[in-house]
Amino acid sequence: MTTHLQMELEHIKSRLFEMTDRAIESITKSVDALKTSDPRAAAVVIENDTFIDELEKSIDEECVKILVTRQPAAVDLRFVLSMLKINTDLERIGDLATTIAKQAIILDGRSPVKPLIDIPRMSEIAISMIKDSLSAITEGDSKKAKAVIARDSEIDELNVQIFRELLSIMAESPTKISDAFALIMAARSLERIGDHATNIAERAVYFIEGIDIRHTL
Amino acid sequence: MKTKITATKLNFFYGATKAIKNISLDVEENSVLALIGPSGCGKSTFLRCINRMNELIPGTRVEGDITLDGESVYAQTSDVTELRRKVGMVFQKSNPFPKSIFENIAYGLRINGIRDRYTIEQTVEKSLKNTALWDEVKDRLHQSALSLSGGQQQRLCIARTIAVQPEVILMDEPASALDPISTQKIEELIQDLKKNYTIIIVTHNMQQAARVSDHTAFFYMGDLIEMNRTDIIFTNPEKKITENYITGKFG
Repeated sequence: MTTHLQMELEHIKSRLFEMTDRAIESITKSVDALKTSDPRAAAVVIENDTFIDELEKSIDEECVKILVTRQPAAVDLRFVLSMLKINTDLERIGDLATTIAKQAIILDGRSPVKPLIDIPRMSEIAISMIKDSLSAITEGDSKKAKAVIARDSEIDELNVQIFRELLSIMAESPTKISDAFALIMAARSLERIGDHATNIAERAVYFIEGIDIRHTL
Repeated sequence: MKTKITATKLNFFYGATKAIKNISLDVEENSVLALIGPSGCGKSTFLRCINRMNELIPGTRVEGDITLDGESVYAQTSDVTELRRKVGMVFQKSNPFPKSIFENIAYGLRINGIRDRYTIEQTVEKSLKNTALWDEVKDRLHQSALSLSGGQQQRLCIARTIAVQPEVILMDEPASALDPISTQKIEELIQDLKKNYTIIIVTHNMQQAARVSDHTAFFYMGDLIEMNRTDIIFTNPEKKITENYITGKFG
């Protein structure tokens, strides 16, 4: 028997998945805008963030409504609590994607100071982390969620590597400081996106197993 | 924490029907234990085993044991009247005596041999204050208890229970017939009373169990399925059947 509560929880899940798709789209488009130094493509990402912000508010509202009217317990309670927190992480991911897009506006048509290989790589890893965390929730697979967490160090390492490269470019060519700094900001944003993806994976483990693994791995 | 009550391999039979199956559990002193489970799961039967109220029903039988402070309540030497003084009980339907508010509380004291008028007055006042009823009834102590509202009558029954200084209070759905405000008062009272008493409450209201208890035990068809800290039972129960019950996915 599917209860009304189950239907409401499913609805929240589908909204959250919609938000995930939009957040991933923002990451992809912002990195593409950076690669092509296309301010117009960047503007689209910034504009789209409004949808993500609206979704955040509406998912929060639905979660609060369920807490108040249904007083869920056990797995249902953990589901709502996880959704509330993942919602916040996805909204932040959307904000960070706009930060990347803003760097494309700063470049204003100029080619990046170095070929963009590692930055797209960072975005690919971050996106796969977000996708795997969400599918871990659907499949109830906490192993999958835990595996996501380990991947964050790859992003961190790439960030450090990019920072070093750009630092030497800035030291060699002071005229490139502004454009190099834009890429440092973009890499840093992706590193932060990786942290939020890790948070999502941790919330997934909490939902599935009921244990809080934050700050333990 | 000191263990106040221990049930060991407790079985209870109504004739040939086994209503409680091999239940072992400990209840900590000065804590609230909530017993939850669907109708007929044995939670009220278990509650009534603690002060031997089930013995009043013909054709019943107990196996195993329950101890209070390490002493068997079923031992041949156990004094059942003394046991029921130590282990008070509050029922679903408030059952004040058709006497005055004052007499409802004083009666228990008198049958326990207290004759001193001053002591009785003091105890009546203290019991009514401890159940947050004093301010509502202090000017009409000699009016009939039946003139009180349902919620007040239930608090009077709790006042009557604590007047004889029990150590344990058993509550069998104490708020199920009350409106939300009266229910809230009873729940507040349970939280206050646990400082001095050990409380076991049977409730069908899961939120009530979550709000008032420190530990929760889930009973199903006479078995104790799971007992743990209340916050754990309501966020991450160990057994699937417990989870199905508390999330309403039962059956």
